Amino acid sequence: MVLPTAISFVCGVILRLALFRSSLPDWLSTKTEVVTPLTSWGRAMEGLALHREGISPYSGDIFHESPLMLKILGFISRFSPNTINLIFVLLDIIQGMILLRIANTFGRHMLLRQATSVKNYHPDAKKNLLRKEDLMDLQFYVTVAFSFNPYSIATCLARSTAVFNNIIILLALYQMLKGNSFLSAVFVALAAYISMYPIILCVPVAVHYFLMSRKGGMHYTDPTAVVSYLQILGVTFMSLAIMLLFSMLFVGSWEFIPSTYGFILGVPDLTPNLGLFWYFFTEMFEHFRTFFICVFQINVVIYTIPLAIRLREHPTFLFYMLLYTIGIFKSYPGYGDVGLMFALLPLWKHVYQYMRNTFVTVCMFLVCTVFAPIQYYLWIYAGSANANFYFAISLAFSTAQILMATDLLFGFLKREFYLHNGDKHKLPDGTDAQIILDS
Amino acid sequence: MFHFQFTTVWNVSIDKPESFQHYHLFPKSLGDVLTTYKVKELHLSQTQGLWKHEKWGYPPEDAPPGDELWVWFQPHSGVDQTWADLVNALSGLFCASLNFMDSKSTVQPRWSFRPAGLASEFYSANSRFVRYSTLPREVVCTENLTPWKKLLPCGSKIGLASLLNSVKIYDGFYHSLGVHVRSVCQDTQCLTPATELKQTLTVVYDPTTNKNGKQDWSFQSMFDRTLQSQCPLADTRKIYVDVTTQETLPKFSLSPVPDFVLNQKRSGEERKIAVYQIGNHLSPSSLNLKAMYEEKLTFSNSSLPPVYANRFVTGYGLERGGVTCMIYNTMSSNTTVIFMETVPWFLRVYFSSLRIENDGKEIKPYKINFIPAKDRANPYQMELVFRLFANSVTKITYSFERAFLKWTEYPPDANHGFYVSSAVVSTVLPVASQYTATSQSVSLLEESFSDSSSSFFLRLHTETLLVSLPTPDFSMPYNVICLACTVVAIAFGSLHNLTTRDFTASDPSKRKGLVAKLKSFFKKEKESPENKPDSKEEEIPSQKDKDNSKSEEKDSKKKDGNSET
Repeated sequence: MVLPTAISFVCGVILRLALFRSSLPDWLSTKTEVVTPLTSWGRAMEGLALHREGISPYSGDIFHESPLMLKILGFISRFSPNTINLIFVLLDIIQGMILLRIANTFGRHMLLRQATSVKNYHPDAKKNLLRKEDLMDLQFYVTVAFSFNPYSIATCLARSTAVFNNIIILLALYQMLKGNSFLSAVFVALAAYISMYPIILCVPVAVHYFLMSRKGGMHYTDPTAVVSYLQILGVTFMSLAIMLLFSMLFVGSWEFIPSTYGFILGVPDLTPNLGLFWYFFTEMFEHFRTFFICVFQINVVIYTIPLAIRLREHPTFLFYMLLYTIGIFKSYPGYGDVGLMFALLPLWKHVYQYMRNTFVTVCMFLVCTVFAPIQYYLWIYAGSANANFYFAISLAFSTAQILMATDLLFGFLKREFYLHNGDKHKLPDGTDAQIILDS
Repeated sequence: MFHFQFTTVWNVSIDKPESFQHYHLFPKSLGDVLTTYKVKELHLSQTQGLWKHEKWGYPPEDAPPGDELWVWFQPHSGVDQTWADLVNALSGLFCASLNFMDSKSTVQPRWSFRPAGLASEFYSANSRFVRYSTLPREVVCTENLTPWKKLLPCGSKIGLASLLNSVKIYDGFYHSLGVHVRSVCQDTQCLTPATELKQTLTVVYDPTTNKNGKQDWSFQSMFDRTLQSQCPLADTRKIYVDVTTQETLPKFSLSPVPDFVLNQKRSGEERKIAVYQIGNHLSPSSLNLKAMYEEKLTFSNSSLPPVYANRFVTGYGLERGGVTCMIYNTMSSNTTVIFMETVPWFLRVYFSSLRIENDGKEIKPYKINFIPAKDRANPYQMELVFRLFANSVTKITYSFERAFLKWTEYPPDANHGFYVSSAVVSTVLPVASQYTATSQSVSLLEESFSDSSSSFFLRLHTETLLVSLPTPDFSMPYNVICLACTVVAIAFGSLHNLTTRDFTASDPSKRKGLVAKLKSFFKKEKESPENKPDSKEEEIPSQKDKDNSKSEEKDSKKKDGNSET
């Protein structure tokens, strides 16, 4: 499987390099589905121009990157435009390499976990077990999913800074699968430093650390377990605090906090994107605005708790599910988050057969991706549509993402049920029993 | 063009509020406002129409369309609060919505609006105490003329102010009301300051509305009134008519004959001014100043003023755009200008796109002061100091992105657009060509006729811009909330279901739908009085069967498990 993987990887790189020569990057960097006020390269350049002039980029309301990103982007922007394009292709190459390693380690990790828990399985479930041969081509599928995924390509071409966010999250996942939970916690803190919502990813890392170091029949609520959770949480928050302190020393004051985290939480900029926040808060009555901001922000993180309890035996899948909730419900979503979801989807290809809504979901994704720029153009440039058209597309896209996430969770849980209970359930009269969700 | 100027000089210092006690000619309403809000200098202008610099030269007081207010305060802390209180008080005093000049449109110009009156170097060096704001959307009408007239010592019944007929004035192309308060010297030694209140009104008419196509005008035809009295409280009561072109084309004659003709010589420009002492012309009948032209009006090329500017919006669509300002220098010498722009926060100006070009070559400005906007708090403030080359056009361009506002932040006619206030170009001219303003060191018009200075301060305002922003659908708040919450509920419901419930195997026939459950409920009610004992017996065995079947399943499972191990 090495040759097809390498071919698809190289094809992906060549595709990106070729598309950088066309006019597509300039067009994509203006598309609000791809770039948001947080990840736009144009705004980053503006912030750097102000910084060079001696004006603090956080004194205005255009630049919303964290100070570390300010430094990195400042370093990148010193090169010529062609070199900057090459740097972004290089970042995509790095992302692809990390995905390869993740696919590799994930395969091994899944076989190990399966070996430890196979004694709890139903004997009929033998044919549902993962085999080494199936996991050999994980690398190929993940590479294909990343190289030819239009969302990832769009993010790369538009020079969105979401690529940095994705790389850090993938590094966190990779270290978690390798077993370096503390390093993974540091990467989670770094991702949270950049875009704040990934802080909830410290929960799957903590659960994974506990599972890896569990001896005997220790339960999740034992004092030693709680101590291990607190260790991971402590590492995460300590690293975050250190990064914030260094940023304060770099900028000179705490003024970057309202511009970055205050901006993510308060949602003052109502630029359209494929999320739920912008039109909701455009049309919100002033009186209720704070209340609904709180509701929507809690909505992003609240799914951590039930998902963590339900998926406590599968922290990698929990990690992936939390990526979905962040990507759908965050205040400024973009194609960067969607690309990350699709790139990691092949890791769970053993769940596909249990999913129910794949056709509907794929159709919705196709339709929304094609329609979104059309409706935006009709509203803003042609003047023959209005904001509701684009809002409808954003609702449909969010629904498609939600369907994919819940369908995947459904399939995963159903497979677990079949593994533990066998897939033949007959009633006393010989007919098939129905497998339903019941309390 | 008619320009009325009413100047009151009061020999008390505005820095000492306790001396603002016994009002005589100075209006008490304005004086109270000035002392309560610690004002050192105040300049308010209310204008309707655009002054065409290329065609008309320079006005005596340049004002942008709409309302403009700039104030220098006495040194004290909390200037922002004082400014907010002052604009509210002034909006009541002048019947204008000056209370909209809040922090969203107020700036502190660093170089452009230096004090026009007496001020120490140290005080005017920084801009902590100055506030500048404009309202380009404001409409000026009779409601604003009346309180302005009320501030005059003689009121509007006698004197030159009696000519101000609001019906005729608001028929003109351009009219501008001005109130300027500043500190001046009491005498040439300048040991003590005095407070000067200058009220100006500039009106531009098109006189060729006459039937015979000639430019004839008179007080009666322009104001529908004649001058019947003079203000006894005034020291100087004069009318000046510019008769520079009286002998050349177009020829005209004035009636009655002026008292005398002055020769005004300002460096580079010679003008002839006819002077009328009003008192001499009131008897036997009222003064109806007339100018009669010999020939019909012909348009000819007028000479361009030394510096003038044009500004416009570029781009298409509702997402982004650009602003271009062309500044023309028709003199044969270079000059330095200060260019100030105030852009509202919702047009996000990209500082990296700011370019100054002359003939295609980029000019680097001497100084840049750029303060970016904070959403819903301050506007963008830009001041550039750069050189205008002789006989050339300098182009300043920058691009902006249009922001999306909340639905309550749009004005009633949302698709009309939003106004961007005029840019201000300040420069010092070496020649006074087409320059009619009074020089800064004197108060009256006549005193500046014999001005021998060689530099003339000029302030120009460009056009205002009208920019459309993308609008949401204003009829949709309920629908949007419902739909967005529905999508959230889809996720919440599915995830809640999947995380709180477990998969079980169940018999589809035993599961009753809602309709079947209701049916069986009503059936039970009907049958119960008749078949109670029978039904009870029937139920118990069925339950037993259920239990048996369940235990059978469990046994089968166990058996399977046992067989495996």
